[in-house]
Amino acid sequence: MAPDFVLYIIFNTLFVLAAAPLWISVIKKVKAWTQGRQGPSVFQTYYMVAKLLRKEVVYSSTSSRITRFTPLVTMAAILTAALFVPLIFVPEPAGGIGNIILFLYLLALARFFMALAGLDAGSTFGGMGSSREMSISAIIEPTTIIVFAALAFVFRTTNIFDMFARSAATGTITTPILILIGISLFIILIVETSRIPVDNPETHLELTMIHEGMILEQSGRNLALMELAAAVKLTVLMALLINLIVPFGLATTLTATGLLIAAVLFVVKGTILAGIIGLFESSMAKMRFFQLPSLFAMAFFFSALIIIIEVFA
Amino acid sequence: MYTETFLIAAALYAAGFSIPLIWWSRDLRAVRTLSLSCTILASLLLGLVSVAVLVSGNVITFMIYRPLAEISFGFSIDRLSGFFLLVIAAVSAPVALYASEYYEHLEGGSRRNLLAGCTNLFILAMVLVVASADMLGFFFFWELMAAASFLLVMYEYDNPGTRKAGLFYFIMTQLSTMFVLFGIIALSFRAGSFRFSGVAVPADPVVLAAFLSLFLGFSIKAGIIPFHKWLPYAHPASPTPVSALMSGLMLKIAVYGLVRFLLDVFAPDLWWGILILLAGVISAVLGVIYALKEHDIKGMLAYSSIENIGIIFMGIGLFVIFSAESLPLLAGISLLAALFHSLNHALFKSLLFLTAGSVVHATHTRDIEHMGGLACHMPVTSALFFTGSVAIAALPPLNGFASELLLFIAIFTSITVVDPLLKVLFLVCLALFALTSALAAACFVKAFGSVFLALPRSPESAGAKEVPRMMLAGPVLLALACIVLGLGAYQLFVLAGISVPLPDMMLVGLLLAVMAALTWTALYFTASRAERISETWGCGVHLQEPSAEYTGHGFSEPLDIIFSSIYRTRIRNERVFFDQKNSIFREGTAEIRLMKVFEEYLYLPAARFSLASATRIARFQNGCLDTYLLYVFITVIAVMVFLGWS
Repeated sequence: MAPDFVLYIIFNTLFVLAAAPLWISVIKKVKAWTQGRQGPSVFQTYYMVAKLLRKEVVYSSTSSRITRFTPLVTMAAILTAALFVPLIFVPEPAGGIGNIILFLYLLALARFFMALAGLDAGSTFGGMGSSREMSISAIIEPTTIIVFAALAFVFRTTNIFDMFARSAATGTITTPILILIGISLFIILIVETSRIPVDNPETHLELTMIHEGMILEQSGRNLALMELAAAVKLTVLMALLINLIVPFGLATTLTATGLLIAAVLFVVKGTILAGIIGLFESSMAKMRFFQLPSLFAMAFFFSALIIIIEVFA
Repeated sequence: MYTETFLIAAALYAAGFSIPLIWWSRDLRAVRTLSLSCTILASLLLGLVSVAVLVSGNVITFMIYRPLAEISFGFSIDRLSGFFLLVIAAVSAPVALYASEYYEHLEGGSRRNLLAGCTNLFILAMVLVVASADMLGFFFFWELMAAASFLLVMYEYDNPGTRKAGLFYFIMTQLSTMFVLFGIIALSFRAGSFRFSGVAVPADPVVLAAFLSLFLGFSIKAGIIPFHKWLPYAHPASPTPVSALMSGLMLKIAVYGLVRFLLDVFAPDLWWGILILLAGVISAVLGVIYALKEHDIKGMLAYSSIENIGIIFMGIGLFVIFSAESLPLLAGISLLAALFHSLNHALFKSLLFLTAGSVVHATHTRDIEHMGGLACHMPVTSALFFTGSVAIAALPPLNGFASELLLFIAIFTSITVVDPLLKVLFLVCLALFALTSALAAACFVKAFGSVFLALPRSPESAGAKEVPRMMLAGPVLLALACIVLGLGAYQLFVLAGISVPLPDMMLVGLLLAVMAALTWTALYFTASRAERISETWGCGVHLQEPSAEYTGHGFSEPLDIIFSSIYRTRIRNERVFFDQKNSIFREGTAEIRLMKVFEEYLYLPAARFSLASATRIARFQNGCLDTYLLYVFITVIAVMVFLGWS
């Protein structure tokens, strides 16, 4: 493995861990503003993770090894998936890292463990969360794969690194069809990160609990890992959208100034996107669970139409 | 050298079959152990031969018996046969290891000797089907395989459920044999011999009929929807090692048959590929949707086999389509995906069946709603079942993912296909394939969660004990194979000299391990290490009961509702009222029933039709000698007229 790639692994992981909690708080802040509230500080998620790390872990007496392993496996799977999406610097792909399908299934690996941990404590909340999470993820899957296939069609590659390298080379959006794909990617981002109108990340009440219900039994450092993993997942999906639609500034060579500029630009672009997500969430009401399939069907037909246009054009 | 090894392996299987028959009335453990040791030894030898063939690429051919120039019994092992022999060897050795203990816990006294013997016969028949050099041998051993498996399914014949399953299985498997026979005869008319050699253009109606007939025969055997109904009956009814062999291996023999005929005999047309692809997609999606609804653990695994066979058929269909479009690279990847998935499915499905059998052995129930909490009582079994679940849910870095990824890559790069309509078809298949693998993940979260996690839901489950060591050893080997094939997929293909666009899963596994280790280290130095065991939070209620847990039914309820149009629940609601205006309720009945769509609309009408026509024909059979003489007379006259005419 090239030394560039090892450096990339270190940089990308550190950057994503450092930056991820920021967007969660930015989204909360924007939502608070639209509701006429002050809202928490933008560093609130960092404080929360730091606080959780100091707390003790409470395990349920019925829980098995699954609960003990899940936070670690989730974090490892999400961090590995984060390597597949370069945030600020795109190296040459190596060993198949960057394969878009593998990326999708690494997220699925994390979800599999989380859903099992939800069932492990024997609490109804956890079971309900797991059941809904697995159902939603199953019915959004066709849309996700179609969008990824559209990306593969447009860029003629299945590797995210190559896609980013091509969009970084032009600096602007490569083809107008990407704007349409971007809309589908945005819907996938909303669904995958459990946001309104699919789920409500603020509560774990029975009407909305999907993700929050699933991790209800987690506590202390384990909860910190779960929260951090969710933040990293959000960041990675945001990066996928940002680096395809507005790639300018994305570094393709390893220089200190290039990295710095790319990092600053990414933080700015990410903050703007987080603001958009916050506004989007504020303008929506949570949908009824069984109305979600029609939303997903809409997203599916939309993305299928894009490809069909692309194919026949 | 290899010929002798193969013959010794076959002889060992035959010995494993005959040893228990010699002492069939003696209920001795030693006899069965000896018989199954023969299986293990034979499988090891077979594995050696198949690896040698796969690596060297040499074809082993030898003739056994040749009564006529066109009719011969011989064996020929090329790379394709070698690959399937490897699949058989890799599954049958661990299954035999497991069976050596499992059979001892069955009821039936000395009948268990026959069970061990027939297991060997079954494996031997599968080996010989794959190794046969021509269609006649293929057909003969195909029927032997069907007969041996029928005997195995009927082991608990005193149970009415088993008798029904056995009958169902018998009819379906004979239908399959009939179609295969018809196809082979039709082909031999065209080719003039029973050799696996190419026949003319696909437009020829006889060749077309032969293909359709063979495809139907193999589909029935493989459990392609709508011919799948025997699987969820036969698998739960049979002893566990038999289920594992049938699901892991026998279905793959049908896959072998299809691939062998497509490669060596036919020159397939484009629409044949589309037919196979569509059959595969439908089986994959419906199979997993039915699996989600099934609460018999072995029935659930049977439906999941239908799903995986669907995925394998998708690969074969794509292979045919890409070949017809002259895209050899993509065709190669698709065929490789189908074959690799056959091996992977054989491994993880037999692993799941064996561990499910251990669970059933420990809890004495097959209903997952009466299990739960077994992770604490059966730690090794739960870890093994977990490995199988991760593999079958196609999650990296295990083997199920590696083969599904190959198929995904084949579809993703099908951009080079010229025909836009084909691309749209691929798009639909891609979406349904993604849905299938996501639903499979949901299905196995439900299965593992209901069986092994939370609180025990029945006293049997609460008192379950870990199974004996031999019943762990077999599945451990299978689980190791799943992990090795998953992590080393790329390296194995490079070793075999095949270049595939597969990511290096070893690297991914390493990255996962490094990330987990770093996270653990970071937590070790920064986080509090305090831990406490307490009860699950129940909104302030200090009593956790198993009845309050989420059940398997509850888990799949959202998907039930979303896919309700597929499940076709029939809601019957009859009410009787006191008054004319239907306002004062007197009495009524209501029922919600899951319809068995295929059974009610396809199988039963077909059965009723054949019964009715049989009744009509039976009228000729009046048992009166004069009438029979008349029939003979008419027949003789008819034959004479016919011969005189032509």
